[in-house]
Amino acid sequence: MSIKCLGVILVIGSCAGFGFSAAMAYEKQEKTLYQLLRVLDYMSCELQYKLLPLPELCRQASRECEGVVHRVLSALASELERQMEPDVQSCMQIVIEKIRMPSRRIRRLFLLFGRSLGKFDLAGQLRGLEEVRTACERELRPLTLQKQNAIRSYRTLGICAGIALAILLI
Amino acid sequence: MTCRWQELLSILPPWMRERVNYIGRETLQELRLRIGAPPELVLSGQSRWLDRLITIEDIQFCINAASRYSPWAADSQSLGYLTASGGHRIGLCGQMISKDGKVTGFRSLSSICIRIARDFPGISSGICGEGRSVLILGAPGWGKTTLLRDLARILSQKHSVSVVDSREELFPTGFQRGKRMDVLSACPKDTGIEMALRVMGPEIIAVDEITAGEDCAALRQAAGCGVKLLATAHAGSVEEFRRRPIYRPLWEAGIFDTCIVLLKDKSFREERMPV
Repeated sequence: MSIKCLGVILVIGSCAGFGFSAAMAYEKQEKTLYQLLRVLDYMSCELQYKLLPLPELCRQASRECEGVVHRVLSALASELERQMEPDVQSCMQIVIEKIRMPSRRIRRLFLLFGRSLGKFDLAGQLRGLEEVRTACERELRPLTLQKQNAIRSYRTLGICAGIALAILLI
Repeated sequence: MTCRWQELLSILPPWMRERVNYIGRETLQELRLRIGAPPELVLSGQSRWLDRLITIEDIQFCINAASRYSPWAADSQSLGYLTASGGHRIGLCGQMISKDGKVTGFRSLSSICIRIARDFPGISSGICGEGRSVLILGAPGWGKTTLLRDLARILSQKHSVSVVDSREELFPTGFQRGKRMDVLSACPKDTGIEMALRVMGPEIIAVDEITAGEDCAALRQAAGCGVKLLATAHAGSVEEFRRRPIYRPLWEAGIFDTCIVLLKDKSFREERMPV
């Protein structure tokens, strides 16, 4: 009997954990997008004020954020400093291969970000950052709107799936 | 001799680095890359070619690496050059874009010429620049900048020297500076001279390559303030300098006391400027 109880608890616990981790991943996506938006603002300001070269700009911007955005920017700065790739896009490609992304949409955004960097004069570069910002906001809007529902659903689904599985197994 | 060699290698396409390092480490003066032709290494006056042809991607790589993937930070491209880290100057050639009669950039590049910056401390020790304004004359590539750099450094042991380094070639990071030297870099020469005069209180102002009327006017103004000058100009002799219309104001004002004329073999002779 006690083994059965333990099994039920484990099944429910693991399914609930799965649901909660899916909810956390959802929150992480939103957080990453907000961080990216903040970094884009920071980069635009620094560019207009100091005309910093890209490796320094990425290094500085990476200090302003954390998580995936921090990791991507510092890896990008290092890749740019190595000067082994012909352009920023190729550097970003290498960085993205190395770092695990929270989702495909974030990966796509980083690729777009990489494509927009290092090609134009100041005005063009600022427009490029603006384009990434728009794409970022477009991705963020549905995430924010559905946040509460989605998180609740993932958690409830996890717990319910655990209970259902436990009943079936008993 | 000091040369920021690794910085030079890092702006070259990876396939070229090892070979250039092997052939040119000690004697490379220029590296010329032309699309569809093999890279030309100019070594102490003689040329050697590598066996692979240059592509547009190779040129683009050099430009991206030299500008550190930041076209906005390298606006000198519209003037036809870029200064890479280490003071190496990249001359650009290709189809240009003009707007309202002004060159704004390059539509496409066909060739580049990388001039290697090397520092030879002590080469100007035979020149007496104390209490004089010195003008260094020579053709491109004959060592004007190298001589100016050393002269400024030597004079800065005793005097306060402000260097206006518009192209960041005179004292790039890693090149030894003088004891009492202030370097204003990446700033137009005329503005830089005026700023140095106003804020740094220099005894000597050093400036590389006088090329415009504004530079001449700024030098005249500085000379009128009791500051000694060190400058370089493109001319093969004092006579050539005198005949160039752009330098007429300097000649007529009699700003410079001494002239150093560089020769092709990198030797030089000192001449008093006629009064």
